[in-house]
Amino acid sequence: MTQNYDKLPQGSFDRIPRDTQQAERISKPSVSFWQDAWRRLRKNKGAIFSLILFGLIVLMALLGPIISPYSPNAQTITHANLPPKIPVIENLGIFDGVGTLGGKEVDLYEMKNVDQNYWFGTDGLGRDMFSRVWKGTQVSLFIAFAAAAIDMLIGVIYGGISGYFGGRVDDIMQRIVEILTGIPNLVVVILFIMIMDPGILAIIIALTITGWTGMSRVVRGQVLKYKTQEFVLAARTLGASDGRIIRKHLMPNVLAVIIINTMFTIPSAIFFEAFLSFIGLGLQAPDASLGTLINDGYKLIQYQPHILAIPAFVLSLIMIAFNLIGDGLRDALDPKMKD
Amino acid sequence: MKNSKLFWLLGLVLVLSIFLAACGGGDDSDTSTESETPEEETDTPAEGEESEGASGEPDAEQVLNLVEGAEIPSMDSAIAEDAVAFNILNNVNEGLFRLNEENVAIPALAESEPEISEDGLTYTFKLRDANWSDGTPVTAQDFEFAWKRALDPEVGSPYGPYMMAGTIKGATEVSEGADPSELGVVAEDEKTLVVTLERPTPYFMSLMAFGTFYPQNEAFVTEKGDDYALNSDNLLYNGPFMLTNWDGTGLTWTMEKNPEYWDAETVQLETINVDVVKETSTALNLYQSGEKDRAGLSGEFAMQYADDPEVVRELEPTLFYLKFNQERNGEETPLANVNIRKAISMSFNKQDLVDVVLANGSLPANYLVPTEFTFTEDGADFREVNGDLTGFDVEQAQEFWATGLEEIGETEVTLELLGGDSELAGKMDAYLKEQMETNLEGLTVNLKAVPFGVRLELDEAQDYDMQNSGWGPDYQDPMTFIDLFVTGASHNLMSYSSEEFDSLVEQAKGELAQDATARWEAMAEAERILIEEDAAIAPIYQRATMALQKPYVQNIISHPFGGDYSYKWAFISGKE
Amino acid sequence: MARYIGKRIIYMVITLALIATFTFFLMKILPGSPIASADKLSPEQRAVVEARYGLDDPLPVQYFNYMFGLVQGDLGISINQFKGADVTDVILSRMGPSAQIGFQGMLLGTVLGILLGMIAALRQNTWVDYSSTIVAIIGISIPSFVFASMLQYFLGLKLGWFPVALWKDGFMSSVLPSIALAMFPLATAARFIRTEMIEVLSSDYITLAKAKGASGSEIAFKHAFRNALIPLITVLGPMAVGILTGSLVVEQIFAIPGIGEQFVKSIMVSDFSIIMGTTIFFSVFLILVILIVDIMYGIIDPRIRLSGGKS
Repeated sequence: MTQNYDKLPQGSFDRIPRDTQQAERISKPSVSFWQDAWRRLRKNKGAIFSLILFGLIVLMALLGPIISPYSPNAQTITHANLPPKIPVIENLGIFDGVGTLGGKEVDLYEMKNVDQNYWFGTDGLGRDMFSRVWKGTQVSLFIAFAAAAIDMLIGVIYGGISGYFGGRVDDIMQRIVEILTGIPNLVVVILFIMIMDPGILAIIIALTITGWTGMSRVVRGQVLKYKTQEFVLAARTLGASDGRIIRKHLMPNVLAVIIINTMFTIPSAIFFEAFLSFIGLGLQAPDASLGTLINDGYKLIQYQPHILAIPAFVLSLIMIAFNLIGDGLRDALDPKMKD
Repeated sequence: MKNSKLFWLLGLVLVLSIFLAACGGGDDSDTSTESETPEEETDTPAEGEESEGASGEPDAEQVLNLVEGAEIPSMDSAIAEDAVAFNILNNVNEGLFRLNEENVAIPALAESEPEISEDGLTYTFKLRDANWSDGTPVTAQDFEFAWKRALDPEVGSPYGPYMMAGTIKGATEVSEGADPSELGVVAEDEKTLVVTLERPTPYFMSLMAFGTFYPQNEAFVTEKGDDYALNSDNLLYNGPFMLTNWDGTGLTWTMEKNPEYWDAETVQLETINVDVVKETSTALNLYQSGEKDRAGLSGEFAMQYADDPEVVRELEPTLFYLKFNQERNGEETPLANVNIRKAISMSFNKQDLVDVVLANGSLPANYLVPTEFTFTEDGADFREVNGDLTGFDVEQAQEFWATGLEEIGETEVTLELLGGDSELAGKMDAYLKEQMETNLEGLTVNLKAVPFGVRLELDEAQDYDMQNSGWGPDYQDPMTFIDLFVTGASHNLMSYSSEEFDSLVEQAKGELAQDATARWEAMAEAERILIEEDAAIAPIYQRATMALQKPYVQNIISHPFGGDYSYKWAFISGKE
Repeated sequence: MARYIGKRIIYMVITLALIATFTFFLMKILPGSPIASADKLSPEQRAVVEARYGLDDPLPVQYFNYMFGLVQGDLGISINQFKGADVTDVILSRMGPSAQIGFQGMLLGTVLGILLGMIAALRQNTWVDYSSTIVAIIGISIPSFVFASMLQYFLGLKLGWFPVALWKDGFMSSVLPSIALAMFPLATAARFIRTEMIEVLSSDYITLAKAKGASGSEIAFKHAFRNALIPLITVLGPMAVGILTGSLVVEQIFAIPGIGEQFVKSIMVSDFSIIMGTTIFFSVFLILVILIVDIMYGIIDPRIRLSGGKS
């Protein structure tokens, strides 16, 4: 074999001397798990677009009611049921204040002598839909985030303990979860809302009362998977306490799953709130959420489509954004996807 | 590879079709108006036929298709307590009297007007020859049995004691467990029923048209036992129609013409198909597709159809008002102060409420006893005596408010407004809240919407501040509204108590019973005290209902109390 | 296997007993009065009515009676929704339509969802992927009551392809409600299959198959699809829950005499017997679905052994 070197064309190859100092060098820059994930997430156009979109929605939810000259609950009864009208855009033939009445197209603003512009129109009590939609978005997001946060807290602690300690503890804790998942969550939610005084708090509590079981299962599964792995064993041998192992070694590994799971609880909480509005157990009037607004609007779809269309559009945007962010995060946080 | 292409194509088509279906609603304003126009055109000829139809011949096919808003909880006339059941009972059964097309109680199973004793206490009814749907004759014993059954505490009839106690002799005692033979109802023979009253009751005839006073066949009821009235086979009918195809829990039933009915030749409809549809929009879609002949229009829909030629409006003698609870959990509420009550009752604009929020022809109410409900013998409306007793007046309301706040020593008051959980109730309560808070400085109103069953319980426990409440009459007399608010009455439940009011009601029920004019005036004075002087309740509106009805449907009669509608005289004309 | 199933069934019975206990006591703290005409009944009558439904017994006695009845399949008597009717009869008479639209909706949704998910996975991160994801998300982001009333208005009333509502025309009546119910399983299945397929497609044996020269469709169907399908069984449980929730809304809008529609009403009128009976019925259904899923999973996937070992 050695002679073959001589046959190689001269100058095509250089001989690299062995350098012990360079042997351990990592040529790629060192990136932490999160930097790596962020790099991959950034490549996902859908997810980034969704992040920006969601940021805008949150911004509008906070600013919308302030920008609007009308308060969300103020009624101007003579201005009831006006279609949307936005200056400038109205020249395009949309948002021009024209609505149907008794099957005919009329400029309702002219008919009712209204000088102001309602950007998203008004509802049946003459309330400004623009401020109501954003106020409603604010409330819906608040309910969803609060529910998701509580779900996460309970689920992580419960699932973590159950998975980490295993054995009898796990057995008992899992039986409890099994019972809870055996009762259809909608029944539990409905019953709890009836027991408590209706309102935002009741809805949040009702949503979380069974909601956390999903999270706890996922966390338990992950903990079970990691706790027998070598690095945990090593830490234990070195005398780390249970608390330290959970905090420093298990949690970082489980975190990805927790984040992804939360990304999917938020939209389902928003959705459930809308469902509760339908069966009459939603938010109390005159407060608005996307759910109550859509519920008010869907019956009028043939006559006052704007009352349904705008909140439904915002809801869809939120759902799409969350799902795409969730998908993106899942892809980004999955170590197997590393390129 | 061919396969995979086919698969792609198939997949794409499926995706596309779902996408289109899902997005179809986004831009509907154009499509819907376009496609609605031809439909309206087809309606116009139908409307033209109506004028011919009204005078014209009934069609060969006499089928009416209706929707109902809720299922039947019970068809036992002793147990029934809801609008759906009373409506059906009114069409499949019959009492001694029946409300006719002019809403006057006329003899039905009674052959003629009863003989009334001089003191107005004994009524002797002669029964006409009539049969149950199984062919057995309806007898006076059937009435005696049914009434005693309705009073039996074991049966638990909600309306039995409520309607009879204090009216029929011995009813109170029997309902408390005394020997039923003490009841002043005796079947002297098969065709003679003698009823003895506790005190003269001028409106007794209209009571006889009410479902609780219908007869029941003893042999049949005993034979069926616990299964009696659980489905349409376990019932007997003596009215214009027979109930069929009702399985006891379903959403559908049929009424068919009863060949055994004594007046069967008047009845023209052969079949009435009823389906329970709880969503107004669904009912409307069924109406527009031609499957149903009538559909109710609630708040949001009422405005859209206001000018539709097929709209029928009916003013009902049902009144909605705010109950002011003066004592909650043993403590006086701010509403115990009369000026606070007056201020609130004058602080909201009722005209805007009925025009914009309800938009169905309801009337703003400044009274308790509805208009177009009760009349003197020469046709004068009870409302003519008192007229309006309160009204929307911001300035006056604010004056009362200031005085009231000073008297109770507060600058801010927070009150809870208890209401129903329907969409319309929510909208109306939101409107009231906004009006009250805008017009009365320092007032905060918290809305609480709960399901019906929960509201009843809160009402009973007197656990609320203000409540949006409604009442429809049980018989044709102002008393059905006025005696609701007597001290300790089962509907009072707000700690309102006025000696003057109580004694006027007592007089009208007792010593003045035979003197129509004086009685009338006593009731009017009581109403004035209740609303003008004490502002114990704040009237809001008198309800009207709006419905779409196909032009070929003729002569459905609506009634102010008891069953809502009679189909006995209805017929189809010009449908084909 | 038989031992495993036996063990699971014992667990199931215990779970059910606990659920029944839980709902029973929840019912006792629920506000509202089932004796709807409360203000018309005299105290004597009230006592009689309460005695008839056993509401005047001490709580432990009531509880014992209820559980005893439950064992015999007796769910009590409806208090005010269908006065005097057996709750068991009510549920049985309402079961058929619910089962039919539920099953059809589930089938339709799963099949379409699988197709959609596969397309998305095979064309990952292309416009095909994005649009199929968006279709799936729109499916779950439009509340079912909005979607159902749109179907009713456009396909029922405007186009006249299907009955607008009611349960009269057999299969045709069930089409629109089934489509409305299918949206949730569709979205769930599509998302799930997409993720699973992507994972399977990047696994070694697919690379091997590719290296051996298998065609694209062969890989997609023979290898990837089958392996992606197995885990789908695990989401059948959540899907069943989704269908249940959806049925409340869809049945009411299409005026279908099903259990969901009846359940909403019983809550509104506080008929405790019916609320409880229906809750237990729903729970039995759900627990059965979970059990069947676990057993199927064991049969299909040989890697999982059902000897009772904990994973």
